[in-house]
Amino acid sequence: MTGRPADWIELAVPPTPEYLQLVRAVVGAAAGSSAGAVPCLDPGRVADLRLVVSEAVTNAIEAQGSVGVPDRILIRCRVEFDHVVVEVADRGPGFDPDAVADLPDVETPERLRHESGLGVALMQRLADGAAVESGPDGTTVRLTIRPG
Amino acid sequence: MQFDVHRRDLPRDETVGGPAGAVLIVLGDLDMAGAPGLRQAVVAEVTAGSRLVVLDLTAVDFVDSVGLGVVVGALRRLRAHDGDLMVVCPAPRIRQVFELCDLDRVFDLHVDVEAAVDAAVNDAPPRGMSA
Repeated sequence: MTGRPADWIELAVPPTPEYLQLVRAVVGAAAGSSAGAVPCLDPGRVADLRLVVSEAVTNAIEAQGSVGVPDRILIRCRVEFDHVVVEVADRGPGFDPDAVADLPDVETPERLRHESGLGVALMQRLADGAAVESGPDGTTVRLTIRPG
Repeated sequence: MQFDVHRRDLPRDETVGGPAGAVLIVLGDLDMAGAPGLRQAVVAEVTAGSRLVVLDLTAVDFVDSVGLGVVVGALRRLRAHDGDLMVVCPAPRIRQVFELCDLDRVFDLHVDVEAAVDAAVNDAPPRGMSA
């Protein structure tokens, strides 16, 4: 399966949390099936993929919700023979990924006051690539997962 | 699986001399969709006077950063009322997500409710963060 590039699978969902489970199911099934070829990811890496995609879509929902944009969030997935790429695109206000504040150390009392802020760290830890393009018209996160 | 939170009182014989409390059994995916339901259940427990909550994640299929955030918030709410939170989390995948976020340094992750209650009534010092 090294000849023709794999096809993109596209999914557009309303920006509400009820669709997260569907997104995870579709992306996980696509990565696990590899369109009839031998899947490149084992179940553990498929679980990692489901998690990082869920984080990216959660961020997209929050971004659009912060400015009341009802547009659908676009999720694109491409399963290659040795990796899976997923792009998540929103129409939120954009953000500077380098400006995301670090959380206090987990063993300090201040950490208890932070219920959010772990999503980007999870994406960076689990994905082999997590590229962010962000501007005033929206953000696209491109995640790459390779076999473990 | 549809997200839901079931509640039961802590077994009385296991909490002799211990604080009032409950077991919250979480079912389904603990994500942005499910998190508000768990937060509401924890707030209800604190308001009702529970000082020990055992959060049973045995039937949780998926957890993400939003779900973990609610667990952290639950600990903060209980500690603010001199209470504590114990987490039951036998599934390796769910434990791994805690570990990826270093939250295994904060929570003892127990294999079942009985182990969690034992740890609570034996007054093990809380790990990590205090309120």
